[in-house]
Amino acid sequence: MRRWTSFTASLATIAIVTGCSSGGSATPIPTAPASAPAASAPAASGSAGPGASASGAASAACNPPKQDGVTLTFSSFGGVYQDAQKKAWQEPYTQLTGVQFQNDENSSNATIKAQVEAGQVTWDVVDVGNDFGLDANKELLEPLDYSLIPKAEMNADLTLSDWRVPDITYGVVLGYNTDKTAGKVPAGWADYFDTTKFPGKRGAWDYSEGGMFEFALMADGVKPADLYPLDLARATKKLDTIKDDLVFWSSGAESQELIGSGEVAMTMIWNGRAWSAKNIDHKPVEIQWNQQIVTADYLVVPKGTPNKDAAMKFIAYASCAANNAKPSEYIPYGPTNNNSKPNPDKVKDLSVSNADENSAYFDDKYLIDNFDAVDAAWQAWKGGS
Amino acid sequence: MSDAAVASTAQRRRGVIRPGVNRWALLALPAVVFLLIFFLAPLVEMSSRSVTEPPGAGLSNYVKFFDQESYVRVLTNTFWIAVLSTGVCLLIGYPFAYLMTVVPGRVAGLLAIAVLLPFWSSLLVRTFAWQVILRDTGIINRFLESLGVISEPLPLIRTTAGVIIGMSHILLPFMVLPIWAVMRRIDPEYGRAAANLGASPARAFFRIMLPLSLPGALAGCLLVFVLALGFYITPALLGGLRDQMISQLIVQQVQQRLDWGFGTAMSVVLMLITFVVLFVASRAVRLRDVFGSAVED
Repeated sequence: MRRWTSFTASLATIAIVTGCSSGGSATPIPTAPASAPAASAPAASGSAGPGASASGAASAACNPPKQDGVTLTFSSFGGVYQDAQKKAWQEPYTQLTGVQFQNDENSSNATIKAQVEAGQVTWDVVDVGNDFGLDANKELLEPLDYSLIPKAEMNADLTLSDWRVPDITYGVVLGYNTDKTAGKVPAGWADYFDTTKFPGKRGAWDYSEGGMFEFALMADGVKPADLYPLDLARATKKLDTIKDDLVFWSSGAESQELIGSGEVAMTMIWNGRAWSAKNIDHKPVEIQWNQQIVTADYLVVPKGTPNKDAAMKFIAYASCAANNAKPSEYIPYGPTNNNSKPNPDKVKDLSVSNADENSAYFDDKYLIDNFDAVDAAWQAWKGGS
Repeated sequence: MSDAAVASTAQRRRGVIRPGVNRWALLALPAVVFLLIFFLAPLVEMSSRSVTEPPGAGLSNYVKFFDQESYVRVLTNTFWIAVLSTGVCLLIGYPFAYLMTVVPGRVAGLLAIAVLLPFWSSLLVRTFAWQVILRDTGIINRFLESLGVISEPLPLIRTTAGVIIGMSHILLPFMVLPIWAVMRRIDPEYGRAAANLGASPARAFFRIMLPLSLPGALAGCLLVFVLALGFYITPALLGGLRDQMISQLIVQQVQQRLDWGFGTAMSVVLMLITFVVLFVASRAVRLRDVFGSAVED
């Protein structure tokens, strides 16, 4: 019976949901922001800074042994994002250790589940969003080897677990179109909710746990540290005040387009997308970092992979201070290791470098444990009058 | 040879006794096996998850769904949008199919290409195209603003109307083709006979064409309706806050939440309701017309 599991994974979505209609091949559903990463950043040269503190674990992590004949399958969200991960981590790692990489560009929580349940695990290291990899998913994941991975150096505001370690940080930020705000700068989420002071439509991710509840509460005066547990009644009441002005997006590309074209004056957006709107599309788009939510993508190892040990060594390498910040050379996503210093030229575009006492962090554990209640409140608010 | 054997041979020669199974039917065997392995088995396995996941779930996933007022609202909304799209497709598709039957063959061919052309580009591209046309900074609103006809953009997008426009465009071929297939089989002599007997063109249409083409129209409606139920990308891109479809919730549960029990429960609810619709419709329409008409000559 188990062998049908992988069929099920695809059929559950394809046959029933979309396949029986021409409902679509792509799925602009909520998925980790990195799945729609920023467009290409100029590939700068230069090192990613000094690999500072060298504890015993860190030095082992940064100096992996030769492992000829090993091939790791790395699954992430594709595009420029995965290219950055290749250039920053995989290529130097292959030079050092001889380990070869196969890349899959369709990271998905559902695929991990299907592979593990079917006993056919082909992914060794997977880059996942912040909604995966805590206790709720422990049946699907190998415990990480923290004797290799420098856990103590990791940004403690992110949510590590026995099964996941953050690899890049990004921000959920307020992006605004300077043409539409007529040169004025919105100071934070209170201005996003003030359509008198700043006329125009507002973009928002159509996903209950994407950040809109948090932003509504911050706009209403809740301090970042006091966001959780979410006061859903208060948040929906605040959201009601701009309900008719909201424009929902369901993919990163869409958000970039909405703010770039001026269809919305402001939007909640992932910092990489706002960066691309400005630097790639050359649109009048700026980021207000104040009251951003700093979050991360995480690396996990599916349970039962035959390359478990090699996977741990690679994750340790990508986490260590000397290497962790390197993707930021190619894409405005920042390090997760406190000791890993990005190139100073890139710092101004990174979420984690712009974090301050007004920044918030997702409480991933709360969000995962309370998804049903949070999502029900979101659906009810959307459907209400 | 016994008498009986002789008799039976004779009967067989006369074709009275036929083999129990038409051997040609065996040709369908690979297709049947294929369906069993790749469609039915996963479907059964998947549906069973709705009552076995989490362990000992029973009907709890279904209770959870129907307890959740906002989820049920999304379900009813799904049907409402499907009904509206079907209606619009019928209003446009029926006259179009009629036009295809009355114009000369070459023109009919061009019209058929016009209907089929959208099939050759991706659904996502077509939906994005509608976005570019309909949005506040889109072609229509910009044009009307430049003419000074409007000062505020018309709410074309992020409304149910936007969803219906996009979905009708995508689903229209599924309405036109079955109707056209049925209309083509209606003998034009009937119309001439009616005229000969003194019927006005309108009367001839309503007494001859309409009733005879009705199976095609019903077939088209059924196809469009069932297909529309599974949509979610178009509503997500062109609709407003309230235009959510059930498929979106299912994808969220299956791909992201990994709550396959709850996700499959919602799928099963959608599937069962679709079956009910098909069953009720099968009393009115021959399903043969739905699934066979487009390829029949």
